[in-house]
Amino acid sequence: MQKSWFDAFSRFLVPIAGKLNNNRYLKVLRDAFMLAFPLTIFGSIAVVLANLPFLDRVMSEGALNTFRSALNIAPQATMGIMSIFVVFGIGYYLSKSYEIEAIFGGAIALVSFLLLTPFFLQSEGQEVVQNVIPLDRLGAKGMFLGMIVAFTAGEMYRWAVQRDFTIKMPAGVPPAVSRSFSALIPTLMTLSVFLIINIVVTQLFKTNMHDVVYHAIQAPLVGLGSGIVPTLIAVFVTQILWFFGLHGQIIINSVMDPIWNTLSLENLNAYMDKGEVPHVISKQFIEIYTVGMGGTGMTLAVVVAMLLFMKSKQLKQVGKLAIGPGIFNVNEPVIFGLPIVMNPLILFPWIVAPMVVTLVTYLAMSTGIVPPPTGVAVPWTVPILINGIMATNSIAGGLLQLVNFTIVLAIWFPFLKFIDRMNLQKEREEGKGESTQNAS
Amino acid sequence: MRKILLACSSGMSTSLLVTKMQAYAKEMGDDVKIWAVGQEKAKEEMAKADIVLIGPQMSFLKAELQNEAKKYGIPVEVIDMVAYGLADGKKVYEQAIQLMEER
Repeated sequence: MQKSWFDAFSRFLVPIAGKLNNNRYLKVLRDAFMLAFPLTIFGSIAVVLANLPFLDRVMSEGALNTFRSALNIAPQATMGIMSIFVVFGIGYYLSKSYEIEAIFGGAIALVSFLLLTPFFLQSEGQEVVQNVIPLDRLGAKGMFLGMIVAFTAGEMYRWAVQRDFTIKMPAGVPPAVSRSFSALIPTLMTLSVFLIINIVVTQLFKTNMHDVVYHAIQAPLVGLGSGIVPTLIAVFVTQILWFFGLHGQIIINSVMDPIWNTLSLENLNAYMDKGEVPHVISKQFIEIYTVGMGGTGMTLAVVVAMLLFMKSKQLKQVGKLAIGPGIFNVNEPVIFGLPIVMNPLILFPWIVAPMVVTLVTYLAMSTGIVPPPTGVAVPWTVPILINGIMATNSIAGGLLQLVNFTIVLAIWFPFLKFIDRMNLQKEREEGKGESTQNAS
Repeated sequence: MRKILLACSSGMSTSLLVTKMQAYAKEMGDDVKIWAVGQEKAKEEMAKADIVLIGPQMSFLKAELQNEAKKYGIPVEVIDMVAYGLADGKKVYEQAIQLMEER
């Protein structure tokens, strides 16, 4: 009865998960952020070095300032202009998914985005500086406009190419030459559209698309995503999906990553500027404080409990197998080996523990007891404590993980004990069965 | 030589299984190539494989990968959950061999 209910629900979830995971646009977006990822790691290393806690004791103030400003170009050239990579990536991967010349798609998306970008800087009460691109337009602030433009430009270019609005070259023309011409008309068409949009918006409405999209779409969405309630919902859905054996993050992240990454970028900019961050929730909050403690569901505490406190062979075996990968936040052995998937005995701690930990982390950070993550990118495979300290640039960030670890342990313990006792009983009966068989 | 491709979200957890499967195949004296990739590489790498096995957490990839696999006429299957969780190299290897022989 219960089993069939689970099966029915899982039959309902798999196609939805498949649709989200395999959706062309979400896939392209995922790949585009992946393109930016190694670059942000490079920038992050420079930020970590520039903000090492003991530097002010070993360096004079002048030397420290020189050191910091020398390193500053690294985050600026990577995270500072992150929208550039995301826009190019979207144009590239979208064209690739339609099997048309991808590098052109990337370049066209980028130029379309720049066509809508003001090439002047206007600070309040100061003269307009011409021939400069305000850096923040290419970073956090331009992120949503960039994504929207890249997808529309990519689609328009693709449409024009597939409609064959191209100049046909006679046979015998070298393929590279004819390729450069085949991109010509679709390129001119696409870029003209964005030029016209920019003319209308700047001349007629005296504003620019950056400000329009930022105020109408980005700020409200990102503001919504920075709240604790949507974050708890995201954690809840992730846990439910994993409970049915589906990769929760892959599905939730494809929807939430634009928001979480933008929050991270805003944090990092503020951190480099003032040493403080505006948002508690960000990509790193999710990665380090919900996944970075042994994997989804923070199962490192569960694995340690199985190794130290459980007596049944089955739990010990899973514990031994899971501890190695668990340290690096890979926990498929626990999820499928314990198993957690479709196991009604575990549903409660599996869902409740991460939500409690998320809430505790949020409260600790929003009250200022522990500093929120600075926006420095830390790969999700970095082990517990190290990742917490790196992400927040503070020992407190690691200590908070110890508290969280204990919370997970406490919530799980009675359930693990119960399973352990059942296993022990089964193992004893099996043992008895074997020995009587041997005797006969 | 038999070539077995494993695919999951980032090729991380399946790589755990790869080592176990390789060890078992070596024990059996079989000449095989077994490797793991993330989902974004799965379609490309498929061309070099005789079979594709998917981590159970990515089971929703099956239909799409199967579609692609028609080009090469190779089977695509989801790895048994329990065998995956326990990183049971023997069982998954045998699952792969059986699927290849059914073809």
